Amino acid sequence: MLDGLSNSLKDAMKKLAGKTVVDRAAVDELVKDLQRALLSADVNVKLVMELSKAIRSRSLDEDLPRGMNLREHVLRIVYQELVRLVWASTEVRLEPQIILMAGLQGSGKTTTTGKLARYFQKKGMKVGVICADTFRPGAYDQISTLCARVHVPCFGNAQEKDAIKITREGLVALKDQELIIVDTQGRHALEPDLIQEIIDLNELTKATHRWLVIDAALGQQASEQARRFHEAIGIDGVIITKMDGTAKGGGAMSAVAETKSGIAFIGSGETIEDLERFDPDGFISRLLGMGDMKALMEKAGEALKPEDVDVNALMKGKFTLRDMYKQLEALNKMGPLKQIMGMLPLGNMQLPEGVYDVTSTKMVRYRIIMDSMTPGELDDPALINSSRMQRIAHGAGATPDEVRELLKYYKMMQRTLKGMRGASGGKFNMQRLMKRFSGMQ
Amino acid sequence: MFGGLREKLQAARSRLGSSIQAVAAPPGAQGPEPSSPQPPLPAESPVTGEPGPDAKKPAGFVDKIKTFIIERELIVSEKDIDGALSDLEITLLECDVALPATDAIIGQVRKGLVGKHRKIGESVDSLVVNSLKTALAEVLGNGFDLTEYIRQHEKPVKILFTGVNGTGKTTTVAKIGYFLKNQGFSVVIGAGDTYRAGAIEQIGVHAERLGIKIIQHQEGADPSAVLFDTVQYASSHKIDVVLADTAGRFHNKANLMNQLEKIKRVMKPDLVVYVDEAVAGNDAVTRAFEFDKTVGADAVVLTKADMDSRGGAAISIAHTIGKPLMFLGVGQAYDDILPFEPAKVIDELLEGGI
Repeated sequence: MLDGLSNSLKDAMKKLAGKTVVDRAAVDELVKDLQRALLSADVNVKLVMELSKAIRSRSLDEDLPRGMNLREHVLRIVYQELVRLVWASTEVRLEPQIILMAGLQGSGKTTTTGKLARYFQKKGMKVGVICADTFRPGAYDQISTLCARVHVPCFGNAQEKDAIKITREGLVALKDQELIIVDTQGRHALEPDLIQEIIDLNELTKATHRWLVIDAALGQQASEQARRFHEAIGIDGVIITKMDGTAKGGGAMSAVAETKSGIAFIGSGETIEDLERFDPDGFISRLLGMGDMKALMEKAGEALKPEDVDVNALMKGKFTLRDMYKQLEALNKMGPLKQIMGMLPLGNMQLPEGVYDVTSTKMVRYRIIMDSMTPGELDDPALINSSRMQRIAHGAGATPDEVRELLKYYKMMQRTLKGMRGASGGKFNMQRLMKRFSGMQ
Repeated sequence: MFGGLREKLQAARSRLGSSIQAVAAPPGAQGPEPSSPQPPLPAESPVTGEPGPDAKKPAGFVDKIKTFIIERELIVSEKDIDGALSDLEITLLECDVALPATDAIIGQVRKGLVGKHRKIGESVDSLVVNSLKTALAEVLGNGFDLTEYIRQHEKPVKILFTGVNGTGKTTTVAKIGYFLKNQGFSVVIGAGDTYRAGAIEQIGVHAERLGIKIIQHQEGADPSAVLFDTVQYASSHKIDVVLADTAGRFHNKANLMNQLEKIKRVMKPDLVVYVDEAVAGNDAVTRAFEFDKTVGADAVVLTKADMDSRGGAAISIAHTIGKPLMFLGVGQAYDDILPFEPAKVIDELLEGGI
């Protein structure tokens, strides 16, 4: 998801590789590339200028630490400056509280409210939702449907036009719940009536948290809007939504800098489970192409059992259909492949586009097909000739073409993994990565 | 919505003007007034310089004038305007014009200015303005007159709305329905967003309020089927326009984009309208490109233009897919929709202050 930005950054970094003395021209060039990279990720222009100034002067003025080359030195400074921007991670406590959702129209407040309810419910809290969006038609239907799917009580009234009144009644009706999320109507800073409404809602609910929901694609407006929301109700956390698209979230990052808050969560998918806790360290690591092990681990910890991934088989250089079966099963629990791959520290290695095209429905089909293979075939796919293919297809209720497609996909995965191992001499070491991966389980 | 961009462009323009002006000064030392930091009177300096030598020295008069003119006829070099251009670049970026589009516009302006012979008496400002105007006009192209289009085409005219999540497709469908109804067309809406919870209710309420017929199935139904039924209904009831709403989807989700292709195959729309928000940043370019590539786009609607946005997304999208901008969504009411007229917008952006 942050591919574009990290790719251009990596290009910029590459230019510094091998240099051991501070080279003014090289640093200037890097700063310029960095600027472009950040700008094309929608980071606020003023912020970019401040940032690049700081990076430039620090890179040139600070002494090169012993044993560090220029690239590492500058990389460290870039990293530190970026981390500083998103440093404050919003604390999320599992205790009775009220969360007020705020944001622009269409930023994904209602969807996120549903996801949050699910998140806290999974953590074992009694959650209730109030629908204070009295404007958008269908808003109550939407949130009540989402809540009903996960059995979370939802208070609202599609007929009532007064958000304050609904919220007041909702607080009473849901008084037995430990955690209440108030979903509000979308609004922007130039609508004084609506800004006043959210100020009133904030006073009424005495909300513990006021979270601003920001679309990852939001551009230069992000800072300004965040500033006004912050002035109105004091934003203490930002949730970035739609991170499963191609937007890089630089606008949201600027909003965080503007409100001096932190990023609480990241929304990255359409189902109610697609919500991740934000980890600033990991965010920047991923931004710089260093990989975000932590987020992967957290997610893997929830979904995976140790026997799910046979790291050893991969490392032995043997990758059979059986391994792929396990992998697909594991990945299915963890989410879309691309999301997982984005979290792996693959450096600037390019994976073939086709790897990502396997949709979750296809994964299910593949597993069914593999279910009708013999153990021998799973261990040695080369055995599969056309008559075996017929049999497999027949057994799985599939066509031979589908079986062929599966084998094609298998070969692609195999090649990809081979490529990874081959690249171990370069930026990252697959062996070490996998060791860490298995060690942390 | 272009207020911010306009202000910034004015500033960039005077900066460009004055840097060209500054180069104009040295050759004829007596020419311009010593201090003219603001460039509102750019045209005057060369003109005021002229009468001087003209009156004093009759001998070799023609020669003098000749060299004078040749010296004064300036060639704008790249160096002269570099500073000003990088200012303009920042300006565009601050207004959410995506990086590739910014690069293209800067390139255009540079091409328009560098190597230009500036004649005596030709205003620096008009040179700059013309160059900017050409660059913007090139990017924005012509508008799209929906009413005219519908009049000229066989009924029912089928319009399919696409875009990523949360850009305001459903609201836009309602607004355009209202707009067309006021123009005297009969309209039917197809509730093609069968995925998002509450979406069918949302469009249903809009349709009811506007008194527009709506065709809807259950949540989770095949959107192609819903929209096919809508088209059938329109044909058999002699309805003028079909507005087909769809679920928001990201361009990098292959299966959802395939679904959209299927919808397109089944309902055979006359127009595919791509909806995006005016506040989107650089991603506007990526997704516009992908949508245009997969299902095509004949026109663009930009929503949320009332959010104090600088209108950069309009420029980015137009630059990327070269499709006309049809409407701007500027508020929450049904009549908060404006037909987009590029020539007017460009004039508005660059007029004033001359």
